[in-house]
Amino acid sequence: MSRLQSDPALSQMPERRNALVVLDGIWRYWGRGKDRWAVLRGIDLEVAPGMVTGISGRNGAGKTTLLRIATAILAPDAGTVTVDGITSDGNWREYHRRIGFLSAGDRGLYARFSVRGHLDYCARIAFIPRDRRGQAVEDAMVRFGLTDLAARRADRLSQGQRQRLRLALTLVHEPQVLLLDEPRNSLDDEGLAMLSRAIDEVLARRGSVIWCSPAGDEESVEFDRRLIIEDGVLRPA
Amino acid sequence: MSSTVCYLGAVLATMKRDALIFVSYRLRVFSQAVAMLFSLTIFYYVGKLVPAGAIGPHGKYFAFAVVGIVTTAVLTSALGSVQIVRMELMQGNFERILISPLGPVWGVVAVVAFPIAYSTVFAGVMLALASLIFGVPLHVGGIAPALAVGLLGALCLACIGLLFVAALIAFKSSLGATWVIAGLSLLGGAYFPLRLFPGWIRWTSDVQPYTPTVDLLRHLLVGTRPVQAVWLELIKLAGFAALLMPVSITILWLAVKLSRHRGTIMEF
Repeated sequence: MSRLQSDPALSQMPERRNALVVLDGIWRYWGRGKDRWAVLRGIDLEVAPGMVTGISGRNGAGKTTLLRIATAILAPDAGTVTVDGITSDGNWREYHRRIGFLSAGDRGLYARFSVRGHLDYCARIAFIPRDRRGQAVEDAMVRFGLTDLAARRADRLSQGQRQRLRLALTLVHEPQVLLLDEPRNSLDDEGLAMLSRAIDEVLARRGSVIWCSPAGDEESVEFDRRLIIEDGVLRPA
Repeated sequence: MSSTVCYLGAVLATMKRDALIFVSYRLRVFSQAVAMLFSLTIFYYVGKLVPAGAIGPHGKYFAFAVVGIVTTAVLTSALGSVQIVRMELMQGNFERILISPLGPVWGVVAVVAFPIAYSTVFAGVMLALASLIFGVPLHVGGIAPALAVGLLGALCLACIGLLFVAALIAFKSSLGATWVIAGLSLLGGAYFPLRLFPGWIRWTSDVQPYTPTVDLLRHLLVGTRPVQAVWLELIKLAGFAALLMPVSITILWLAVKLSRHRGTIMEF
């Protein structure tokens, strides 16, 4: 519980004009024909700068779908998502410069590629300018205790180290909005403390965090707001 | 940084990544070179059976086939890029590209860039080895223009590769890429002259970029007579590139859009 002391005012639903992330009337169906069902039913969510929102729900409730829509990996069947007033269709590049997404699981690493190689590559595809790129990579390694592992291949890392690398990749470009899907995966107490400090840094630069985890999962950060997805709708937890 | 510099830098970074992963398999280049040399050796002896006049003077068939073999290697690499994207999907790495400012279309272009660049360089090295080991008489003066033709041809084949990637993203099927590789190399005259084909199928050689690529390369490097006038083949090749680039990028963009709406973009 090392997160910055939250501002009580942030716990209130923010005014839309101040929101950094706005999901407006999100509907998403899965399946086809008779087997079609709505996993998200008109979700509205606004996240203000400096705010951590925790979203929980049963397995299959739609948490990952919601995050994937926020990242623009999936398109909603209805509704819009804006980050800092930008839509992904309007400006893919600027939209994605502002977000960092950690997917659930342990995938998304190149087995025979080094820790530093991963970070340098992600910094390049995040368009971090050359004069800041080296420092951004070093900072990311320090942030998640990867400096001594810089030359090690991903397939020679432990599960917890892999997760720390995945978190470092998510944050290397210092996004304003951090979207985390079950981030505790394989992290020990030290790893969780690193994540907590990284979240503090996001909040310190007036960013926002959305943290999704299964219902009942032990939380390791302090949320400004807790929500639950049930029957495709977001409710206060 | 300007947008173009950003995107090209990201493509180069992806190529560097793939090159580093590639060379981490230390015997891969060696085994590919050995396989290619075996192939050249087979055609060297087959060439001895081809009588004078079939292609040109006795022994000319080998030079003819060598250019076909190395060009087919580039074709295979271009269309084989669909398997690389499939691997990216299976390993969950495609997601990282999707959520980056680079975006899915440029991301796919970046992913297919290294294999095509590598196979183009590999083809050049194999041609040089064919000349050194088997005595293929390469025209030194033709190397520079052949390089330009080779790059233009590789660009066309890369665009065809992007169409297959688009099919993979939209329909989760590579639509028989290996058949297309075999068909294009066969109908493009990789191993024997187009005039041997029956007339009713010869049109298929005229509507794809492989034919002018291999024909021009042969003409420039080993001095075979081109099937059509050089200027006409150059215009055809440039025309294919000018057509295929916007078409393949547009279709890839539509495939990404479709699969984002269907929710299948991360499936494989």
